[in-house]
Amino acid sequence: MLAEVSLLAPENRWMLVCGAAGSGKSTLMMTAAGVIPRLIPAAPFSGAVSLSGKPLPEFSNDALFTRVGIVMQNVEDQMWDLGVEDVIAMALENRGRPKAEIRARLEIIIRQFRIERLAGRRVLSLSGGERRMVAIAAALAAEPEVLVLDEPTTGLDPEARRRLVSILAGLRGKVPMLLVSEQDPASVAAVIDEVALLEGGALTAPVALADIFEQDAPWMKAGILPPTRSANPQTAQAEIGPEVLAVRGLKTRLRRPDGTPVLSDASLTIHGGETVALVGRNGAGKTTLFQSILGLAKIEAGSISIGGDYADDWTPARRARQIAYLPQNMRRILFNMTVREEVLFAITAGRPKGEGDGDKADAALARYGLTDLAEANPFALSSRQQAVLGLACAEAAGSLVAILDEPLLARDLNGRRLLEQFRDRAVSEGRAILLITHDLELADDIATRALLLDEGAIAYEGATAGLWTSAAYQKLGWPGPRAIAEGEVNHARP
Amino acid sequence: MRVHDVNFFVKLAGALVLTIAAWIFTDWRYGLPLTLVTLLALWLAKVPGLRGYLKGASLLVLLVVASWVLNLLIQGETVLDAFAIAVGMALRLVTTTAAFFFVMETSTPGAILAAATAARLPPAVTLVLSLTFGIIPMLRDDFERIADAQRARGMEIDDVGFFTRLRFALARGVPLLVQGVRMAHSISLSLSISGYDMRRRRTTWCNVGLTVEPRLPLVKGSSND
Repeated sequence: MLAEVSLLAPENRWMLVCGAAGSGKSTLMMTAAGVIPRLIPAAPFSGAVSLSGKPLPEFSNDALFTRVGIVMQNVEDQMWDLGVEDVIAMALENRGRPKAEIRARLEIIIRQFRIERLAGRRVLSLSGGERRMVAIAAALAAEPEVLVLDEPTTGLDPEARRRLVSILAGLRGKVPMLLVSEQDPASVAAVIDEVALLEGGALTAPVALADIFEQDAPWMKAGILPPTRSANPQTAQAEIGPEVLAVRGLKTRLRRPDGTPVLSDASLTIHGGETVALVGRNGAGKTTLFQSILGLAKIEAGSISIGGDYADDWTPARRARQIAYLPQNMRRILFNMTVREEVLFAITAGRPKGEGDGDKADAALARYGLTDLAEANPFALSSRQQAVLGLACAEAAGSLVAILDEPLLARDLNGRRLLEQFRDRAVSEGRAILLITHDLELADDIATRALLLDEGAIAYEGATAGLWTSAAYQKLGWPGPRAIAEGEVNHARP
Repeated sequence: MRVHDVNFFVKLAGALVLTIAAWIFTDWRYGLPLTLVTLLALWLAKVPGLRGYLKGASLLVLLVVASWVLNLLIQGETVLDAFAIAVGMALRLVTTTAAFFFVMETSTPGAILAAATAARLPPAVTLVLSLTFGIIPMLRDDFERIADAQRARGMEIDDVGFFTRLRFALARGVPLLVQGVRMAHSISLSLSISGYDMRRRRTTWCNVGLTVEPRLPLVKGSSND
């Protein structure tokens, strides 16, 4: 994964590590924080990491993690079923700080992150973006000297990203070292001094971010999309086919803490050949929407039709045979013992294997470069490989609609190529894609149409280009999809 | 006040008292009202997962009554006596399991941690209690999540017969095991990086008495950092 990597992070020079998905960023972050090999063994492992000149193995667990705070890419890996306040206060409680001090700190942190509405909730009931904000709040609560953030903006809506960057900026002078890994350098550029790029397991020497930010070549060489690149013209203008999914007047039984339904009147229509982006604030109900479509969340009113057929009385499984769902964390939906079995399952849905199914599975694996991993256990794959496996499964299943929830592959060149390959094949066969994303640039790049979910209903439905100037979008106060490239937002550190 | 906010140890003491009562008054004429009152209390408290529990409890009653009646008949008891003893036993088991089901379902790991910390129990005991009572609902949620994943991948587990459904439920064992290992890993990682130390007494952010404060009351208008 990593070979001969050396990194010297001077005090008060905040550093960003960029690289494609699967390039080893998470391994590097966890190694720098002392999690690898201390808490997660990684064999073979050689080399040394030191903090303030002292090798990490010489620190006790307590001494090390008092000084170092880390938020991992998969925040679920460091969370369990506790309340929001419990998670944030945990590090202070474990160190025996007085109650009054913890409560005061909790109040400051909760207000600083503007997560008051999450107080009292269980973290595993939060949306992905909300959960990440809580994890970052928890890492900051104990005021570490070194803060390591692995993909901190993943899953955050633009407003939450802006808030996070503003909070990080406020830590100047309080946190001597910030080490961030990201696929999207623009999202944290305003607080970063230097950047190092991970390419083929090696790390380039750190350079001032401002020196390379507006160049394309260094980022392309590292396999990621340049932060200031211009718009990518649509390449898959397929013929619009018949309606494949329609949702009318959807009202969910699931309610918010204030008693209002998460979705009160959501309606949308998707046709074959379309790539539709669904955007909305963290906690707007995007996950609840697709769960309702699949029949996994109970609805109080409304109707759903799939492929032109009334589907309200269909079981979730019957709906899922027409609608493939790919979460960002694919581990949630994998349960077979080999990669090939996962793809076969996508084709057969648990029924006896038919003639030609094996060949179909092998062909899908080959198209996504997974042939060598066919007999591997899906849980042993990296997050990136699992995301690619998801594409192979959805393609092999040939579902009418594929719902891609915050695809992990979107920001690196190879991943984007696979995503576009998936989209091109789907739309050319008259199928549709529903892309749930906070990556506005991705939505602008590949979606022909866009939906905006706000206050329990679809507040905008129309051409993607029209979304950015719509009243519903303006109400969110978010920047445009290319705010940095077009100079709308200043990326430079003040 | 929600029943969920009642101090874990108060609930645990209540469950123990109920269990002791059930096992002291073994006659089914005492056991039946005790069981009914317990189940009614669970229903009134809107304990999550009650329907699932009742299904399991019904199965338990059937199995216990059938096996005990058979056994007692073989030993020479009359049919009426055998039924009375078997029903009494089944009722005791239902009361006991219902009482502890209530404790488990209405106590979050965070609330147990807080209650045990406020009771100044050693960190090792605090952790064991939180995990023992907290992990079962977590695993049950994971079991449901795996079922939803199977549904979301097109596996028909709803519109099938009982035995097929049972077979599919058993097939969730392997992913549940994997998930259980992952959960244990996440808990261990979370505790390590947040400085949990068996040798150090921890504190808690919340006020603990007969109830455990469920959320931090935020002072209106307080300024940001």
